[in-house]
Amino acid sequence: MNIWEKMLNVDRRWIFLAIGVVSIIPFLIGVGMPITTTAEVESIFNFVNELDKNDAMFISFDYAPGTQAENTPMGVAVMRHAFHNNVPVFITSYFPLGHGMAIGALAYVTNPSIPGFYQHVSFEEWEVFRSAGITDKDELVAAWENDGNVLPEGARGWVFEGRDFAMLGYAPLFHLVILGMTASIEAQYPQDVNGNLLNEMPMLLEHKSLREISLALTTAGSSACRAWIVYGREKVGVPIAFGVTAVMATDYFPYIQSGQIIGQMGGLRGAAEYEVLLAQNEITETTDKAFTGMDVQSAAHILIILLIIMGNIAFFAGGFHKKTAVKGRG
Amino acid sequence: MKRTVPLMIVLVGGLLMMIQYFIPHQYSQAVFNSYTEWAPIVGAFALILGVGSLTRVHSHKIRRKVKNWQFSWAVLIPLFAMPFLGIIWPQSLWGGMDEPSIFHFLFMHIQVPIQSTMFSLLAFYIASAAFRAFRAKSALATVLLLAAVIVMLGQVPIGEMFGRWLPETGLWILRYPNLAAKRAIMLGVGFGILATNLKIIFGVERNWLGGAGK
Amino acid sequence: MYETIGIWVGAFFTLAIYSFLYKENPVYRLAEHLVVGISLGYTMAITWHVTLMPRLIEPLASGNHWILLVPALLGLLYITRFIPGIAWLSRYPIAFLMGTAMGVGFPLTMKTDVLRQLEAAMIPFYQSGMPWQVVFGNIVLIFGTLAALIYFFFSKPHKGLFFGTGSKIGIWVIMLGFGATFGFTVMGRISLLIGRIQYLLGDWLHIIE
Repeated sequence: MNIWEKMLNVDRRWIFLAIGVVSIIPFLIGVGMPITTTAEVESIFNFVNELDKNDAMFISFDYAPGTQAENTPMGVAVMRHAFHNNVPVFITSYFPLGHGMAIGALAYVTNPSIPGFYQHVSFEEWEVFRSAGITDKDELVAAWENDGNVLPEGARGWVFEGRDFAMLGYAPLFHLVILGMTASIEAQYPQDVNGNLLNEMPMLLEHKSLREISLALTTAGSSACRAWIVYGREKVGVPIAFGVTAVMATDYFPYIQSGQIIGQMGGLRGAAEYEVLLAQNEITETTDKAFTGMDVQSAAHILIILLIIMGNIAFFAGGFHKKTAVKGRG
Repeated sequence: MKRTVPLMIVLVGGLLMMIQYFIPHQYSQAVFNSYTEWAPIVGAFALILGVGSLTRVHSHKIRRKVKNWQFSWAVLIPLFAMPFLGIIWPQSLWGGMDEPSIFHFLFMHIQVPIQSTMFSLLAFYIASAAFRAFRAKSALATVLLLAAVIVMLGQVPIGEMFGRWLPETGLWILRYPNLAAKRAIMLGVGFGILATNLKIIFGVERNWLGGAGK
Repeated sequence: MYETIGIWVGAFFTLAIYSFLYKENPVYRLAEHLVVGISLGYTMAITWHVTLMPRLIEPLASGNHWILLVPALLGLLYITRFIPGIAWLSRYPIAFLMGTAMGVGFPLTMKTDVLRQLEAAMIPFYQSGMPWQVVFGNIVLIFGTLAALIYFFFSKPHKGLFFGTGSKIGIWVIMLGFGATFGFTVMGRISLLIGRIQYLLGDWLHIIE
C-alpha cells in the first residue's frame, strides 16, 4: 500500500475530528468577518420595511427541528423586523413539529433575558383596553403606559397578542388550509393556540383573508414552501417570500426570476444577511446567531475544499483513475 | 363498494374541485369553502394510521422478543405519554405556575436536540464524501466540481478575501445556468405532477387503493 | 432551574447522537427510538388541541354544527384499516382527500410550475443599459433552459444539430446547476452542525455568547 492509497484509506473518523475542530475554533476566536448582502435578501428586507401597522403578514414555520439551525434565525429576524414596524404577524406551521418551532421562535423574540426583546402582553391582559375600543397600536401603547405599565429595560417595544401577533400554529393538510385562508382565516383557525377566539382579535377583524395580507414568509426545510405559491399566490396573488435551507435554495431561483416570490433567504447565509440589514438599519442593536455562525461556515468550507483537493491529488497521483476501484470505508 | 366507490369518489371530487376553479360561482364557492373546512378534520384522523402501524410494529417486536426489542419501549412509552401529558395531565415539572409543562419539556429538551443533532451528523458525512468521492474524472465532473467550489467560497465571508469577482461569479452561476437547469427540471416535474393528477382522477393510477381487500 | 435541567438533558442527547460518529452504541439507539415516539405523540396532542377541539368537538358540543359529523365519521373510517374484513372502508377518506387534492392542485400547479415558468423564460436578451454579464446571463438562461429540456427529452435520439448539440449543451448547464446545489448542500449541512456547536458551547457550557 503506497502513500496515496494509505491517504485515501484513512479512517474517516479523522475527517470527522477535523470537521469538529474546525467548527469549534472560530467560535472561540470570534473573527466576525463582514458579509455583503445580496439582492435576493435585500428585496425581502425592503418589502417588510415598507409595511406598517395597517398591513399584516404571515410568518410560517414550515420545518421540523432538524433544520432549525438554518430556519429559526430567518423567522426570528423577520419577526423582529415586523414587530419593530408594528406589522401584525399571523404565525402558522405546515408541520406539527414546526408548531413547536414557531412557539420557540416567538418565545425567543419575547425573552426578557435576550437584549432587544419585545415585551409580550397576553390577550387577556389588555382586554379592558380592547373592550374600550382602543385597538390602534399607537393609541393602545399610550393608554397601556398611561395605565402605569413601564417598558422593561432592554425591551424594544410592546407586542400585544391579537394586535401584533396571533399564534395560529399547525393544522393538518396545511396546503388546503392556505387555500381555505384565501376565503377566510377565521374559518380555518377559529382559535389561536392559546384558545383565544380569532374573531375577537383586532388584527383578524382588519385582515380577514389572505387577500388582505401584504406578505407571507415561509421558512421551510422541505418543498412545503411551494404550497404558499401554489395555493396562496396563484389563487389570490398574496406576495410570498422564501426562507429556505441551503439544500433547497438553488431549486427556487426560477421562482425569484419569474416574480412568484419577492426574494429568498438561502440557508444560514441568507439569515445572516437579514441580521446584517437589521443591524445596519438600527432595527436591532447587533446581529444574532446566524451572523456569528458564518465564521465557522468560512472555515469549514475551506476545509472541505482542501479535502476535495487532497482527495483528487491522491486519486490521480496514485494512478487510481486507471484502476476500476479503490478500497475505502465510507 | 370496495374499489368502484372509492374510484368514483376520486373522480367526482377531482372534477368538482377543478370545475370550481374555472367557475367561481357562489354555489361552487360554498362547496369549496365547506371542503376546506372539512378536509383538515378528515386529515387529522389520518394520524390513526401512523399511530396504529407504529404500535403494531413495536408491540410485535416486544411480544416476539426480537433483537433489541427493549428499545421498542422507548418508542411506545413516549408515543402514549405525550398525548397524556399534553391533553389529560398538562403538569409542569414541580407544579410551578410559570414553568412550562412536562409535555413542553420533552419536546424542547429531548425531541429538538436529538432531531437537530441527527441532521447535523450529515456535516461529517458530507466532508468524508467530499474527500473520497468527489473526483474530477471527466470534463463534466470538473465543471460540476468548479461550480461547487466557486459557489461554496462565494457564499462565505472568507470568499470575499479573494476579491469581489468570486462571490459575483458564484451568484452569476446561481442566477443564470443554475436557474436554467432548475427551470427545466421544474417544468419536467410540473408536467409529471399534472399527468399523475389526471391519472389518479380518472382511475388509471390505482396503487393508492393498496391491498385492503379486492 | 427548569431551563438548566432542560439544557443538560439536551446536551446529553446531543452527545449521545454524536457518539455514533465513533461507533454505534445503545445510548444512540435509545435516542433514535425516543425521537420517533415523542414526535408522533407530540403530533397527536397538537392535532387534538389545534384541530379536533376547535374545529370539531367544540362546534359539535355547541349543538349547531351537526354537519361536521360527516367529516368526523369519514375520518374515523381510517380505523377500519386495522380491522380485517372491513379494511377496504379506509379507502373512502383516502379517496375523498386524494381526489379533491388532485382536482384543486391541477390548475394551480399548471400555473405555478408550467405557465409562469414558460412566461418567465420569454425575456429579452438585451435592454438599454444592461451590463454585459446580465446580457450573457440572459442568453445562457434562455438557451440553457431549452438545452436542458432537450437533454430530458428521451422520446427522440440525441443526434443531429438540434437534439444532439442541444442535449450536449444541456448537460453542461445541468452540471453547473448541480455543482451549485452541491456547494449549497455543503453549506446547509455545516450550518446544522453550527447550530449544535452553538448549543453546546453557548447554551450549555456558556463559553461563547
